[in-house]
Order: sequence, then structure tokens, then C-alpha cells
Amino acid sequence: MAQRLIGLACAMAACAALAAPVVKTEHVEAQLLAERVAVQAGKPAVVGLKLRMAEHWHTYWKNPGDSGLPTRIQWVLPEGWKAGEIQWPYPKPLPVGPLMNYGYEDEVLLLAELTPAASVKPGRYTVKANAEWLVCKDICIPEKGALDLDVTVAAAEGPADPKVAAHFERARAQLPFDPSGWTFESAMAGKSLVVKLTPPAGAQLPQKLAFFPERELLIEPAAPQKVTREGNALRIEMKLADPPLTGVGEVLGVAVSDSGWPGNPRKAMAVNARVVASLPVAAATSASPSNGPSPGVGGSTWVALAFALVGGILLNLMPCVFPVLGIKVMGFVKHAHGEERAMRIQGWVFSAGVLASFLALAGIMLAARAGGAQLGWGFQLQSPAVVMLLAALFFVLALNLSGVFEWGAFAQSMTSNISARGRYADAFLAGVLASAVATPCTAPFMGAAVGFTLTQSAVNALAVFAMLGVGMALPVLLLAHFPALLRKLPRPGAWMETFKQVLAFPLFATVAWLTWVLGAQAGNDAVLGLLAGLVLVAMGAWMYGRFEHSAGPWRAAVALLLVAAGLVVAWPASQGAAVPSSASARAGEIAWQDWSPEKVAELTGRGTAVFVDFTAAWCVTCQVNKRVALGNEAVVRAFGERQVVALRADWTRNDPRITATLSQLGRNAIPVYALYLPGEAQPRLLPEVLTPNIVLEEISRLPSGRPATAITQR
Amino acid sequence: MHRALALAVSALFSTAVFATAVPGQPAPGFTVTDLSGKPVKLEDYKGKTVVLEWINFGCPFVMKHYNSGNMQALQKKYANDVVWLAVNSTNKGHTDWAEPGPLNAQLKQLGAAQARYLVDEPGTVGMAYGAKTTPHMFIIDPQGKVVYNGAIDDKRSTNPADVKTAKNYVVAALDELKAGKPVSTASTTPYGCTIKYK
Repeated sequence: MAQRLIGLACAMAACAALAAPVVKTEHVEAQLLAERVAVQAGKPAVVGLKLRMAEHWHTYWKNPGDSGLPTRIQWVLPEGWKAGEIQWPYPKPLPVGPLMNYGYEDEVLLLAELTPAASVKPGRYTVKANAEWLVCKDICIPEKGALDLDVTVAAAEGPADPKVAAHFERARAQLPFDPSGWTFESAMAGKSLVVKLTPPAGAQLPQKLAFFPERELLIEPAAPQKVTREGNALRIEMKLADPPLTGVGEVLGVAVSDSGWPGNPRKAMAVNARVVASLPVAAATSASPSNGPSPGVGGSTWVALAFALVGGILLNLMPCVFPVLGIKVMGFVKHAHGEERAMRIQGWVFSAGVLASFLALAGIMLAARAGGAQLGWGFQLQSPAVVMLLAALFFVLALNLSGVFEWGAFAQSMTSNISARGRYADAFLAGVLASAVATPCTAPFMGAAVGFTLTQSAVNALAVFAMLGVGMALPVLLLAHFPALLRKLPRPGAWMETFKQVLAFPLFATVAWLTWVLGAQAGNDAVLGLLAGLVLVAMGAWMYGRFEHSAGPWRAAVALLLVAAGLVVAWPASQGAAVPSSASARAGEIAWQDWSPEKVAELTGRGTAVFVDFTAAWCVTCQVNKRVALGNEAVVRAFGERQVVALRADWTRNDPRITATLSQLGRNAIPVYALYLPGEAQPRLLPEVLTPNIVLEEISRLPSGRPATAITQR
Repeated sequence: MHRALALAVSALFSTAVFATAVPGQPAPGFTVTDLSGKPVKLEDYKGKTVVLEWINFGCPFVMKHYNSGNMQALQKKYANDVVWLAVNSTNKGHTDWAEPGPLNAQLKQLGAAQARYLVDEPGTVGMAYGAKTTPHMFIIDPQGKVVYNGAIDDKRSTNPADVKTAKNYVVAALDELKAGKPVSTASTTPYGCTIKYK
């Protein structure tokens, strides 16, 4: 009753009708608002600072993200009055280039509690506030305003002021609510911060959400967040800032879901997650990309491990591994009808060889990267000397399979004269060889998994590489354990000799390929050196085979001498003249230009669509894609019609700029195909195995119908 | 199906990795041209302490430190001990981009005393260091290790008056380095304007 009387009195006296003055700065209109027409002495009431930003300008949340400054309000109050902290509505992610800010566009009402002194007499009082805000679009302007608000103190609280009710209602809907029945936990795992939200039983969970931590420097605001459903809980994985904060006991923040939360229509939920040592992962039932602060998502170790396994298995089908697998198949044929146990052991030894090689290569790469070197997966083939040695090794193996010589006592003395052990050494070697030539190939799934390791701790990274090795060894291991299939093969006999000699040809083909790789790396002279060296190696092998029955040490000695001489002749000069990759266009081909980050920046800056082929001579998958997809007539035509500028980044020799760019794309192995479309901040990554249709479909997003002259345009 | 999967996978992992120069780790090397067009190589300063100051005169936070004379004073104070490199990663298309002529005039007028002013136009150096704001300060010790990454001081404002009362992290770190002590505060949150990367 009293309230209604006051309301009536106020309405008659127009006590609430006085809106506070609006302070206009260059980019913001600021005004203080009171929620009620009258407040009561000693009783908290709600007021707000309304900031209306010019179009596309923004002010900041309490954690501004990568840059910026939160808005500040300094109250100047009558004696005995108190004002509370700003109650922040949940922010909006505001990406700026590669960085991310958290803030508000258009309009925001920052609420605060205002408590008149208990002793204050009814009447009108002026409350002042000095507010400072940083307002930014692509530039930042610090602004401030001296604001005031007339507050009526009455014997009882007045009704809500209908003129501002909508503003307050909207602001309240944007405040994070304190949930009940939820449990929150968080943990730092490697380079990730994981926050787990467990709802009360039976609650429906949102599919998409974004997390905004209150604390600055806790996470990398621009890095994608990954949200996974884990049983009935939600798991948010974010990239920790580097270096990570230490001594974090709890993670405070807001989780924002556009579809609201179970039992609460508000979009933002306050989260206070205690930091625990670790959060074990239950089987994730689904993963959904977050619509959170930035498009896309990160990766979890488990997903990466799964991809690595599948990628490793698929690696067996990639053209690089094929010739070496021939050797392994040969071994199986030989022993298919032999003792099962021996065969199983062989399978395991082969797997051990693969695994040891993957771990060794990954270890070297990680150690070198930690030392600041820019190395990527497959780095060993970036060295001309390694390419030459591999070529020589495959050449020797091929000669052996062709029957030019038998290993005989020579190899046995190296391994041991117990034939079973010799076989195991063979199996291990086959594993090592398969890995050495397989690593430069990227299978589907694998590129993502290897790229993932870039952001991970050494332990996680090694686990992913080990999983790749497991995947690659798995088919052979399975065959070793289930030899029923192999039994279908004919019994060993004269046909085996023919089969063995046939298997030499894939190896010779590998030598031819490696020779071409060396040519691309170290020039024509290096190719001549290699071929001349191989002639000497062939002589050594022939002598060793021809005089097989002669006694005495000279045979092996001369053979070794010839091979050594061959290697010396073949050894590539450290700074050979690489054949410059030709950028001249031939008719019926895409007009490739040499890649540089500056060129990409310049072209995309002009709004040109850019396709980048990250390739290398030693990457067989790349060569296959080049022929099959990028050389396809329809694709070539589409590049011309849609005016896509094609750039080729050649990683045949180590190029730190390429390694760095790949890592920005979240990759560390090739092939990688990146399509930069106008208006899209991030390039689209195409699959590792291309078909003309995949390329055409991506390109077809661009408008066509422009003259086809673009293909030769420089 | 295969295609959809492959696309999903690549989408899942296609994240822009913004590198960070972490205290205790080797500083990322770079070669970049300065305002006069001469190349500057970080390697060339091995054996010396290097300060990297991300700069943009279009930014009020930077101007707070120049209008108050704070930044120039630091550059002069440590001129004998450190190589002070101002780095501008503003992209050419941005309104904050300034041509060498006017920039030189402004540097002169402000009495700036950095050793070199680097034009990191494509933002390569900035991205490699994870520079986020102007100003954003990095200190590299004579061994080429990052020893400080963060804000210039602890007063996050554009008010020049705050310079006097602020704790300057760069001064603290440089003095500790000079005294042969480890840098006690090696990492802070940088504050300022977003760097105008491309």
C-alpha cells in the first residue's frame, strides 16, 4: 500500500521521470540508469552504466582477452553510501586477426548495486560516477565520462521504472547464473586446460558452448575450444597460455550456450572449477566443434591417438611403403609353412623395428625443435646425403633380390650364424627401412594427428608417433598371428626364386625415385655422382656374388672397398645447386608460382583466392596428387575460370618458412593443400589424398565467369 | 564418405598456431628490414641483451609511454647495455600504418632513441613471438634466450600520470640481468592495443 502511494506520489511529482544526462564521446553514448523510481535508505538497489557503442566498435569484458582494457567505474557517492562491483554480462568473442578479444558491441548495461546510507533522509541525491572505457574497432580510443544520476530516497522502495525496465531485464538475462546441483572440475593436461561440467542427473546438455575464463593469461583466447560429451558431462578443452600460469587453484569463468542450460533459459552459467591433478577421460560419446570464441576446434590426445592409429594402418597403402613391404611379404612366404611361433616372433620383431624407428625419428625431430630448429615429419629425406644413402641401400637390396649375390657368410657374421636370429635381424631391418621411407608419406588422418603433436608435450607427441608406428605394423602383426591366409600360398619352391627376382623391380623403382629426389635437392651433378657411385656399388655386389666360392678374405674386402668408393663418389656436395622449381606455365597445366608467406599475404590482402600446394619431391603422395588431381584438365580449367592463384611451397629441402607456415596450419607433415578464399580468415585445408572432384568442389565456392586469362596473369 | 571424413578431420585440426616466445627458451630468430630498408638479423646481436618493443604510434597505450617521455628515457638509460629494437607489425592496409617519412619525423620529434625501428609488415616476427599488444615487451639475454615476455609496467591505462607510480617490469628485468641475477618476473600480461596484423 505504502509502495503504491509512493508510486502515485512519484508519478504526480514526476520524480522518476528525470532521466540522467547522456554523456556523448566520439564513439560511445554513456548514461547511468536506476532500476527503480525510488530507493530505500540502507537497502541495496540496482543501477547500471549503459554504454551504447558506435557501429562495429566494442568495449571490453572484465577479462578483455588478448588486448584491451575492462571498463572501470569510480563512484563518487554521498557520505555513507556504497556501490558494489560491476556485474558483468557475458561477453562476445571478438576476433581481431590472429588474436581474440572478449567484449561487447552495440550496447551493454553494466549493473552495480547501490546502497544508500542507512541514515539517509528521504529526498533527492546525486550520485556521480567517473567511468573510463577503452573503445576499439580497428583502432583503440580510451574515453571517459563524468556521469551523474539523481536518486530519490523514499520511506519505501519504489516500483521499477517502466522506461528502463527492458534494459535491466535484458542485462539480467545476460548475467551468468549460479547453477545448483552442478559439479565443476578442471585440470591442466599438457598444453591444455580441461574444464569438466557435470550437471545434475538427467539434465539435457547443450551441444555447443564457449568458455570465457575470468583470469587473463590462463588460456590462449584465440585458440579453438573443443567441447566433448563425456557420458552425461561436458568437457571443454582449451589451449593453455604459454608459459602456463602456475598456482592456479580454481578456474572461474562463464560457460555460454546459445541454447540455454537445463532448467535455466539464461545463456551464461557461472563456473567455479576446482583444479584437480588430472581428469581421466571416459570414452567420449560425441565430439562437436565449438561455436565458441573462434571457429574450428582443437584436438584431444585421444582423438589424435585414434587418428594416428588409423593413419598408420593406411600408411601401408601409400605408395612409399609398398616396395619395402615386398621384402616383408617375401619373408612371410618363405616361412608361411614353417613354425608358427617363429613367425609370430618375426611379426613382433618387425613391429619393434617400425616402432623403434618412429620413436627415434620423432625423438630427433622433437629434440631438434626444442633446440629451435624448424624440422617437420619426414625431415630425414630433406638431407641429400640421407637420400643418397637410402638410394644406395635400396640398390644393394634390389641387386640382392635379383640374385646378383647372396648375403652368405657376410651378413651372418654381422647378425650371428644362427639362422633364426638372422631372420629376426632381417625382420627388424625391414621394419626400420619401411619406416624410413614411409615417414615422408602422409596418409589420410595422419596429417592431422602429426600436426596435433606440435602443440603437445613431448610425452603426448611421442605417444602419437608411437601409435602411428603401431598402426603401420598392425597388418603385418595380424598376419603373423593369423597365418591361415598365408597358408593358401603355394609351398616354397622354384617359383620363389622368380617371385623374389620380380620383387627387385619395385626396389629399383624406389632407387629411381630417390635419384629424382636427389636431383631436385642437389642438382644434376649430384644425380651423375649418385649414378656413377651406384655403378661402383653394382661392381662390388657383382664381385661378391661372382666369386662366391672363393675362399679368403679378399672377396669381401674388395667388395666393401668398391661399395665405399661408390658412396664417396655418390656423396652429394653439401651446397649443391638445386634445380630451381620451374614456375613457367605450360599449356594445359596450372600456372604455378613460387610460394612465399609475403606473396600469400599480398594476394589474400587483395582479395584473391590462393591455392597453396605444400609439396616435396620425396613425398610420393604429393606426386600422385599432382598427377591425378592437380593435373586434371577440369581442375586446370577451374583454376583459370575462378582466378585462383596457385602457389607451390617446395619442402624438398628444409625451408624453415614452410615448416613455420605448416605449423600455423596445425600441420607438420605433407602433403597439405591450403585454399585461401576471400572473406575467410583461415584457409581451408583439403584432404591429403586428393581427387579432381574434391578440388573442384572447393574451388566452385568461388564465383566464376571471369575471363580465363587469369591463369597467366602475374 | 571418405571425403566427408577427411574434411571433418582437417577441419578438426586446422587451427592457427600463434607461437609464443617463452621465457627460458631460445628466442625465435628473424631477419627483417628496418625503417631505412637495411636488414636486421637477431643473430647479429648474439652476446648482447636485446629488448624488443612492439610499437604503433596510432595506439594510445604506446603514446602514453612516449608522451610521458617514459619509453625514450628507458631507451637512453640502457643504450650502453642493450640493443633496443622497436618492432612495428602493423599491416599496410591499416589506418595505423605510417610511411617511413612521417614515421621518422615523429620518432625525431618524440626524441625516440631505439637502436633500430623494424618494419615487420607481414607480421612474421610478431606472430613468431606471440606479440599481442602495443606495447608488448620482450627481453633476450646475451645467450639468445628469452628472459622476459609481457607488459612494460603494472598500470594498465592510457593515463601518462600512471607512469610515475607504476612498477616497470622491463626496468626490473634489465637491472637484474645487469646484476647477473635471474629475472624474477619473467612473464606478465601485456596490455595495450591489439596489434594490427594482417
